[in-house]
Amino acid sequence: MKKLIIFILSFCAIAVLSTWLFPQQEIVLTIREGVPAISVALPPFICEPASPEVQEAASTIHQVLTSDLQYSRVFTLVSKEHLSYIRPLNPKEIFFKDWESIQARLLVVGEFTRSENRSVFEVKIYDVKSQRMILGKRYQVEPGVLRLVAHRVADEMMKLYGEKPIFTTKIVFVSNRDGNDELYMMDYDGASQTRLTFNKWRDYMPAWSPEQRAIVFTSYRAGNPDLYILYPYEGRLVPISTRGTNFAGAFSPDGKKIAFCSTKDGNAEIYVVNVDGTGLRRLTFNSAIDTAPSWSPTGREIVFTSDRSGTPQIYIMDAEGGNVRKVSFGGNYLDSPAWSPDGERIVFVSRVDNFFDLYLLNLKTNKITKLTETGARNESPSWSPDGRHIVFSSNMSGTIQIYSIDYDGSNLRQLTSDGENKLPNWTN
Amino acid sequence: MKKFLVLFLSVILVLSFAASCKKKAKQLPPPPPPQAQEQPKVEKVEEPVIKEPELTEEEIFMKKTLEEINREKPLARIHFDFDKYDIRPDAVPILEANARWLKKFATVKILIEGHCDERGTEEYNLALGEKRAKSTMDYLVSLGISPDRIRIISYGKSQPLDPGHNEEAWAKNRRAEFLIIEK
Repeated sequence: MKKLIIFILSFCAIAVLSTWLFPQQEIVLTIREGVPAISVALPPFICEPASPEVQEAASTIHQVLTSDLQYSRVFTLVSKEHLSYIRPLNPKEIFFKDWESIQARLLVVGEFTRSENRSVFEVKIYDVKSQRMILGKRYQVEPGVLRLVAHRVADEMMKLYGEKPIFTTKIVFVSNRDGNDELYMMDYDGASQTRLTFNKWRDYMPAWSPEQRAIVFTSYRAGNPDLYILYPYEGRLVPISTRGTNFAGAFSPDGKKIAFCSTKDGNAEIYVVNVDGTGLRRLTFNSAIDTAPSWSPTGREIVFTSDRSGTPQIYIMDAEGGNVRKVSFGGNYLDSPAWSPDGERIVFVSRVDNFFDLYLLNLKTNKITKLTETGARNESPSWSPDGRHIVFSSNMSGTIQIYSIDYDGSNLRQLTSDGENKLPNWTN
Repeated sequence: MKKFLVLFLSVILVLSFAASCKKKAKQLPPPPPPQAQEQPKVEKVEEPVIKEPELTEEEIFMKKTLEEINREKPLARIHFDFDKYDIRPDAVPILEANARWLKKFATVKILIEGHCDERGTEEYNLALGEKRAKSTMDYLVSLGISPDRIRIISYGKSQPLDPGHNEEAWAKNRRAEFLIIEK
């Protein structure tokens, strides 16, 4: 008996020690493919007073929340038709059996109230089976933030189920709508497109920091393609690398380092540098083109493109530059790899007969699946923070625009239409 | 008889008219004698033309702005094969001519821009454009041009010469351009 206790204790100690020694193992998330989505009943919100303005505001939040949940792949909505089968919602006295009868697992009760000087949106989320409120939030609603309020609610719901919030995150991209290539950002659904840089030079290849407070990008503003970090909420711009051609910057998952490609030593090589510009380290050493670095979610490895074998192929190396191995096969022009947030997959671009399509390499099974099939140039893929969606640019409609597609190739959506829009980045 | 009378009268009439005309002509004053020798000659008024000595080629060059020189495109662009950055045989005489021009105007500094067609991905193309600019620079250096006079830049596929989406446009867009940035 004593032996057993000691055994159990030492087992626990090893488990604790191993999580302390290898904390990165805890970060790994799994995408629950095939797991049925959580059904949500989203009856119309209650309005107080029931004036047209209040109803319009409440219905905007309702609409945006509806599209968020539909996009999520985590939740499904109970159909409107089913809501008519049961007694209308009474927030004072909820008949949970009614909601259970139409197979709702969650019930979202929203109330929009406007008093003399302020509007408040209150949301309560109930677990129907246990008849318990599992989330309650109140938001002060200023004019112009109705969409954001809905996104906040959707993200709270994502967090309830251990998912990474995506609806309040932004996609940064390049657009020429105002005459030359400038940085812009937008919501996941293409709403709220906002310009970030204002100059007559090309700003190019942006990538977010993990918390979306900083953007690493290439700019020709000083007459040379230099690497900068833009802090859009602080109005700060910091040059990082200014010799040679500097591009394809990517923040490390801890936000402290940047991997990028530079020709500062005469050839396109991959470097890592601290975000303050110190501690520059060169990772690749050969006469081939090495470019397009993307970090693994643990920050221990970097996937990149190299034509050291003759044509551009996908390689993985340690974050210190060692242990280089080729992971792609079967294509003769591959580029733009992006490591999925769960660490299991790499999305990349392959060129076949002048078309570019997106492919997924599953690192566990070593299988490659084709994600797009549009007879166009689909490129620059970037994962959503939760790994369920991929944004990319494509000329499938004639001009180059930004699209989003789910990890299984479904739900293709066009997000931009003004000018030409490319190089979207959602996460690194 | 009557006929005779009419004829007689008309003859008189004609004669008297002729006589009156003669009289008038006699009353005109005689034409004035020529007076040319009394008037001064018309003089041509003009400033003397300053004739500049003929400019040398260098002086003509130095008088122009960089924009004017670049508009004349004294250095012809060269083209590359699909996915390649090595100097093609047809580019050799162009680069030789460019090197001769650069030797003639020895103070000139240039920027070589590497460009790609749209059939490459963004990242790889930016690196490939740089390789094209670099191999162009290396060739000029091998012809005796100092590397201090050359800067390179890559634009990837972002500045196509021909916006088309066919072989002809792609062939045009895979290129190295020469821009004079200092003289």
